[in-house]
Amino acid sequence: MKKRLLALVIAATMLFSLAACGGKANSGETNTPANSNTPVEEVKTPSDIEKLTDGQMVDGKFKETKKISVEVYDRDGATPANDNVWTDWIKKQMLDKYNVEVTYVAVPRWTEVDQINNLLAAQSAPDICYTYSYATVQTYADMAGVTDLNPYLTKYKSLLPDLWNWLKDENIYCDQDPTTGTVWAIEGRRNNTYRINTFVRQDWLDKLGLKAPTTTQEFEDMLVAFKNNAETLLGDAKDQMIPLMVTSDVGWTAANLIESFMDPAITDKELYVNGFDDRKYTQNGTKEAVKLLNKWYNNGLMWKDFALYPSGDSTADDLCKAGYVGAFMHNYDYPFRNAENSFNAVLAATYGENAKFVAINCFTDKNGKYTKYSYSAAGDRKAFFPATNKEPLASLLYLNFISSPEAVEYLQKGVEGINHKVLESGAIAISAVDEANKAYTQNSGQNIDLTMTCNGLRLSTEELTQKSLAYTYAMVDPADVANAMVQAGVDAVAPKNVQVGTIQAESEGTDLTGKRDAGFCNSVVCSPAEFDATWEQHMKEYMKAGGQAIADERKAAWEKTYGTADMLK
Amino acid sequence: MKKERNEVKFKEKKVKFWPYMKRYWQLYLLLLIPIVYLAVFKYMPMKFVIIAFKDFKFNMSVWEMPWATTAGKLDVFKYFKKAMNVDFYNALRNNVVLHMLDLFFGFPAPIIFALILNELPFKWFKKTVQTIAYMPHFLSWVIIYSLALTLFAPSGGFVNQLIQMTGREAIPFLNESKHWMVTYIGLGVWQSFGWGSIIYLAGIAGINPELYEAASVDGAGRFRKMWHVTLPGLKSTIVVLLIMNLGGILGGGFDRPFAMQNNLVLNVAETIATYVYKNGIKGLKFSLSTAVGLFQSVVGMIFLLGANGISRKLGERGIW
Repeated sequence: MKKRLLALVIAATMLFSLAACGGKANSGETNTPANSNTPVEEVKTPSDIEKLTDGQMVDGKFKETKKISVEVYDRDGATPANDNVWTDWIKKQMLDKYNVEVTYVAVPRWTEVDQINNLLAAQSAPDICYTYSYATVQTYADMAGVTDLNPYLTKYKSLLPDLWNWLKDENIYCDQDPTTGTVWAIEGRRNNTYRINTFVRQDWLDKLGLKAPTTTQEFEDMLVAFKNNAETLLGDAKDQMIPLMVTSDVGWTAANLIESFMDPAITDKELYVNGFDDRKYTQNGTKEAVKLLNKWYNNGLMWKDFALYPSGDSTADDLCKAGYVGAFMHNYDYPFRNAENSFNAVLAATYGENAKFVAINCFTDKNGKYTKYSYSAAGDRKAFFPATNKEPLASLLYLNFISSPEAVEYLQKGVEGINHKVLESGAIAISAVDEANKAYTQNSGQNIDLTMTCNGLRLSTEELTQKSLAYTYAMVDPADVANAMVQAGVDAVAPKNVQVGTIQAESEGTDLTGKRDAGFCNSVVCSPAEFDATWEQHMKEYMKAGGQAIADERKAAWEKTYGTADMLK
Repeated sequence: MKKERNEVKFKEKKVKFWPYMKRYWQLYLLLLIPIVYLAVFKYMPMKFVIIAFKDFKFNMSVWEMPWATTAGKLDVFKYFKKAMNVDFYNALRNNVVLHMLDLFFGFPAPIIFALILNELPFKWFKKTVQTIAYMPHFLSWVIIYSLALTLFAPSGGFVNQLIQMTGREAIPFLNESKHWMVTYIGLGVWQSFGWGSIIYLAGIAGINPELYEAASVDGAGRFRKMWHVTLPGLKSTIVVLLIMNLGGILGGGFDRPFAMQNNLVLNVAETIATYVYKNGIKGLKFSLSTAVGLFQSVVGMIFLLGANGISRKLGERGIW
């Protein structure tokens, strides 16, 4: 009998050997009706501020020191992402200005969504989080894990002039639910909207006497030429030749090609309905583009091992820096990032001045144009407060401070003589920090990870910003940067801001990005004969796993809001 | 425990609690550590099992959370239905197949290794081999996969470069489903056979040497002794480990498949653990994750009890 009891206990132990987490969190304020966008009277005098904040703030400062924690992306920079001269500066400013003590929590940039999910689930997320994934915010909000900002924004608007001047109602209320009025997140703003460029090795073109390709066919011919002349270009390392680098994030690292296969006359409606995946997986035309990649892959024009390395792995970058790669597509400024560790600086150091990647346009759509999709200015990183945030006012004041022109300019250009020089034209030229001033390294380009609400250079005047843009990358040729910006702007289309409320299915789908990447990768590497079957099968699984539900809900939401119109005004 | 008390009874006839405790309290103090561990990490979280049937909310206790509903109607099995989709069945199949392959190839490996080690005459050689064989156990799967990449990647891998130098086609060790399974099982065996052999070596050490002597007298050679003395001596250890292993048929670690899978082999590499991570935990779907976990535990227990029952029918002791 006792034996049996023991058996039961052991069995029960095994049965329930799973842990779950939970607990109580404050749910923030209850929802209030949608805000009105009428300007709130400015509160100027300290006594007004004291009254507005129910006595929490005296003379514009908190009576008692408030403590908040803030997320910052970690890119394995030269100094700790959460503890360096720039974070110290912000900390000091916040303490002096508002009596708010700030600490930073580093979150790896390339796995940010996973990481922030873990932190949110563990109820240990920083008071101010930011992410590129609105679905994460929405999912979490559905479980009462996010603070509704609407009541605080309404109440404290007059204390947040810098936030409002920079983001305007457009970004602040961008994600507001049209029916309940909740605001789960504030959208940051992009100050330049360039997205993806195609880069080729200028010195390889020169060596082979080729001109930069201007059509898709010429691009293919160029890849073939690289492959056939591997010995000329790489000598003993000829076996390492990779004419075109595409990573396992195919939708991003072949974006220019994919977008050129889309119908340039696509309606806003179709772009929106099929556009829930920012890699354009479900857009019409993508299949044909991937078919071309499949051909290139099977003809040995691409890196054989790409699909084995997860996204965020640095092997692909290392191969580019090692000089084995002829062409690639990536962020419009990718080869210029990270000063002495940038692709171009490393190549120049190894192979001489002429060895560098330059931006080109070559993927022609059916009208012969280089149609590509840029970012929209409204909507970048989304800042939100988890429900565990006990200091919404102090946190909003942080966002206000970090949006102020002075803070942004200082963080972006750094210290004169260490991080930048002022050119004769008045332009700010970012320079690499020398060994003695290593502590002043900006871990992200122009400290964009710290300027949470602002992505892209934003100096005191628009004129100065434009003048300085090409000089914002240290140790690379400003002419190349300027060229990359020009190329990224050619025939670029900015997506319009569609406001149709929450699409519930977007937070229901089961690991759609994983399915998308698997679909892309498998379709690229399969044999040409199997391409159609492979593509269709993965697409079917993707749509079944939630893609179709999102597209349907988006279509319905569009029609509810915009009626029969296909285009936005 | 029962046995212990009987022995005590034998000596002192009647056991009084306090004198008994006074004498043995240190042992119970030691026992307290695992009991507290089980209570805190295995029993206390049990109340959260209920979220498999509820809509999870962060701002409520598990008791306050509302029962799961679909379109306003009570539907307590909602998350089970949601979880049991095509992907889940796919993961389930992979889990069973990979586990069975592991069992088939991985289970005998440490036994054979222990038998061979036991026959080695030079102590220093035995020790060296043993230590080297243990080493992979201490490597994390992330490291093993990066080793595998540098060895087996189709164009950059060392092994494939050797193969290509001889003029043959590269072998898709990691990028084709069937080959990937072989690599997966092979690396699993490589990683664990040394460590797994420890328990068998301990079992062998416990076998009465007189049995070997008697067998020698009867004219048994090495293989005869292995077959008729060592293996029967290990039988109960083998059975217990086999039962425990079957109990884990739907479990299995997370790190090994997760570290080793890539976009090209997901159709065979997605297991329940990685499915739950990607679709449940990563998507903050706690109710769904818990539903799958509950399912896994129930099936695991059925296998465990089944295997135990069979082994007892066959005259073995089983695990209790």
